[in-house]
Amino acid sequence: MNLRGLLSLYSPRYPTTLVYMLQSTEYQAAAYLAWFWRTTNFATVTQRRSLDRTKAARLLLTALRIGMLVQIALGLFLVLAGARAHHAGVELGGIIAIVIYPVLWAYLITLPLQLGRVFISRPAEKRLINESKKIFANHPGAKIAVAGSYGKTTMKELLATVLSEGLTVAATPANKNVSSSHAYFARKLTGSEDVLVIEYGEGAPGDVARFAQITAPTHAVITGLAPAHLDQYKTLAAAGQDILSVANYLHDANVFVNDESPDLVPLLKPAYSRFNKQGALGWKVKDAQVSLAGTSFTLTKGRRSLPLQSGLVGRHQIGFLSLVASLGLQLGLTAEQVQAGIASTKPFEHRMQPYQLSGAWVIDDTYNGNLEGLRAGTQLLAELAATRKIYVTPGLVDQGAETERVHVEAGRLIAAARPDIVVLMKNSVTDFIVVGLHQAGFSSELRIETSPLDFYTNLNHFVAAGDLVLMQNDWTDNYA
Amino acid sequence: METIAVIFGGRSAEHDVSIITALASIIKPLELTRKYKVEAIYIAKDGAWYWDEKLKDVKLFTSGKIADFLTKAQPVTVQLDGGFTLVKTSGMRKQLKKIDVVFPAMHGTYGEDGALMGLLDMAGVPYVGCGVSAAAAAMDKVMAKQLAVANDIPVSNFLTFTKADLAREPNQAIKSITVSLRYPLFVKPAHLGSSIGISRVTNDTELRNGLEVAAHYDERIIVEEAVNNLIEVTLPIIGNDEPQAALLERPMTQAEDFFDFETKYMQGGKKGSGGKGGKGSEGAQGYSQIPAELPKDVYTQAEAVGLRVYKALGCSGTARVDMLIDSKSKKVYFNEVNPLPGGLYAHNWAKAGLSGVDLVQKLIVLATERHASRQALATSFSTNYLQQF
Repeated sequence: MNLRGLLSLYSPRYPTTLVYMLQSTEYQAAAYLAWFWRTTNFATVTQRRSLDRTKAARLLLTALRIGMLVQIALGLFLVLAGARAHHAGVELGGIIAIVIYPVLWAYLITLPLQLGRVFISRPAEKRLINESKKIFANHPGAKIAVAGSYGKTTMKELLATVLSEGLTVAATPANKNVSSSHAYFARKLTGSEDVLVIEYGEGAPGDVARFAQITAPTHAVITGLAPAHLDQYKTLAAAGQDILSVANYLHDANVFVNDESPDLVPLLKPAYSRFNKQGALGWKVKDAQVSLAGTSFTLTKGRRSLPLQSGLVGRHQIGFLSLVASLGLQLGLTAEQVQAGIASTKPFEHRMQPYQLSGAWVIDDTYNGNLEGLRAGTQLLAELAATRKIYVTPGLVDQGAETERVHVEAGRLIAAARPDIVVLMKNSVTDFIVVGLHQAGFSSELRIETSPLDFYTNLNHFVAAGDLVLMQNDWTDNYA
Repeated sequence: METIAVIFGGRSAEHDVSIITALASIIKPLELTRKYKVEAIYIAKDGAWYWDEKLKDVKLFTSGKIADFLTKAQPVTVQLDGGFTLVKTSGMRKQLKKIDVVFPAMHGTYGEDGALMGLLDMAGVPYVGCGVSAAAAAMDKVMAKQLAVANDIPVSNFLTFTKADLAREPNQAIKSITVSLRYPLFVKPAHLGSSIGISRVTNDTELRNGLEVAAHYDERIIVEEAVNNLIEVTLPIIGNDEPQAALLERPMTQAEDFFDFETKYMQGGKKGSGGKGGKGSEGAQGYSQIPAELPKDVYTQAEAVGLRVYKALGCSGTARVDMLIDSKSKKVYFNEVNPLPGGLYAHNWAKAGLSGVDLVQKLIVLATERHASRQALATSFSTNYLQQF
């Protein structure tokens, strides 16, 4: 930490920065403290967003400011009292109190959160989860678990959208995909739903097995395996074992697996039902077409033929759409209902979502957080026609020990799409991506942005008609 | 890293438009390139020059805090030392900044009309946009039309008067107009942009009023016949010797309307039928159709007229040519030239495939190329004139 960084500890904005860091790490003390000790200058922490002044944030900020002021006042008092009484020890104590207040309060502020979590939140959550276990066990509907390192939310939304054409469906909301959110979801069920779609958000070993025990699924869809949360899982194999533990719960029956995920293939058992861009559940894909307006293809099985048109963009969507369509037919939907359901699917926010800007097409895939999504995105960029192709990424977070390998590979994938311009947001993985780009012979324009917010908010100045911009991944301040 | 000075504001009725052009369409994209050091030079309404980083913040102007800023700030001076150097003195401290290229963002008088370009030529500094003569001709509607006529470029019938003519013999002026031209007519001050002081008149009473209004703004007045079955179009162009056109743009106004200042800048360009148009585009000057939906032959003809006008007036860097089309006869008339289009017409260039960032960089390159070309010309000639004196 240099002098400027040291002085930032005593800046009037410092308390706000601490609360922002807490908020950005979702009030997780460990992640917050890890970020705290990584930070060398607290004046430059807030780059991408600013503090959302919620009630909790305002309360913490007030408590922090008052605590710090009291400590400074106490320190000054001790210094003056020590000086008056010619007591060097008291004076020194006062100086120490003044000097250490930024660090001390950075820790003290986590105390009420920890206490609240141990004595209030966790016991309440535990009760709620136990209740939900009974609700799920007694629910008569089909319960489809959706697990995987990527594509979970997309798959869940597709299932909910298409199956709703002929069945009563309830799905876990947004990306609420852990036990406590499953429990809140269970409380809202009426028991009359035909299908429940439950997303499993794995984060650490044992998560998926536990979710399965609580939610008692009848079907499972495994969307893919890629390096994610490796800080917790340590190895990709461990993450794969955890994700596939839902198959163990189902004794390998009614388990549908995306075999286009290369890392998943070695872990697959013959009993699993595979799906991919060639088809699913015995249905075969033909005449696939991809454009910015969406994806179209025909499913065929024997003499039966089912033309489908989706608003989702990208060839990688075909496997998912095929499974959802064929599973819909298996669960009793008519061909017309499946067609209508697939036709109503459209890109989800920040997931391969195309929009126009200054005459250019921008594909927003900033919610993608893994290498397989990056592979799908770069393949799409290569496939679509444009006057100028621009690829933008800050890189992938949470890659643990795989960080270097993943980002060198990402660089190669990006180069293979032959973009005219690559824009990288400067951070700890930028150099790895650049190595990958050079290894794959990338020789077009490379732009390294030091101010991501400035770039994203002024994108309209960079693009023009004929341009195709693919923006992938997000890199929030807490990964700085 | 080159230092670019963006000059905006000025003693002009289009002062405020200039601020938006400078901050939104020039300074921001120039800074986004990360290739230039950009200096903001603001000319206040009283003509004083200011140079400060704070002048890059549009909120300073939109909040009205600019008045407070000006009372505290020290105006700058310019040193013409074989170049263009800004000099700011505060107390004992003297700050100097040598400018490599000037990017004028001035609209109207003392900025777009060649006055500023003359100063920059004297300084010998490269600058973006038209030179002195082209800017002066473009901003003089009479001279521009006369140049067009001399180059066989069609214009609508017109007459010109001086303010003194009108003051001396107003009835004679009206008589000559009504004899030579047919209503409806447009009465315009010869030198003002942004449609300020322009009236559309359909009878003698309106004509008399229109002449009075125009004479209030200018020493020279032009009276033109309106074009029937009117389609107004405008064509942004960039380039020096080989100009390149953007897309022909059609402001979405009703036939009986014309694109006055209020429509262009104050109402977001939504006067007339524009709001109902389905294929229009919100541009720097409001609602418009890009590219203009015209028969192919008319589109090609208008594009050709625009490029011919650009060359005839000797434009360089950038300009925008406005044209009038009679949709029945398919005849295209040159109307006027704007040597610094508001917002650089970046919205149009973006649709033509040139981004805002690329546009400003291209204009800088054109400025330096023109400067280099002029530097290569001989400016001295040895004589024995002094010895013979």
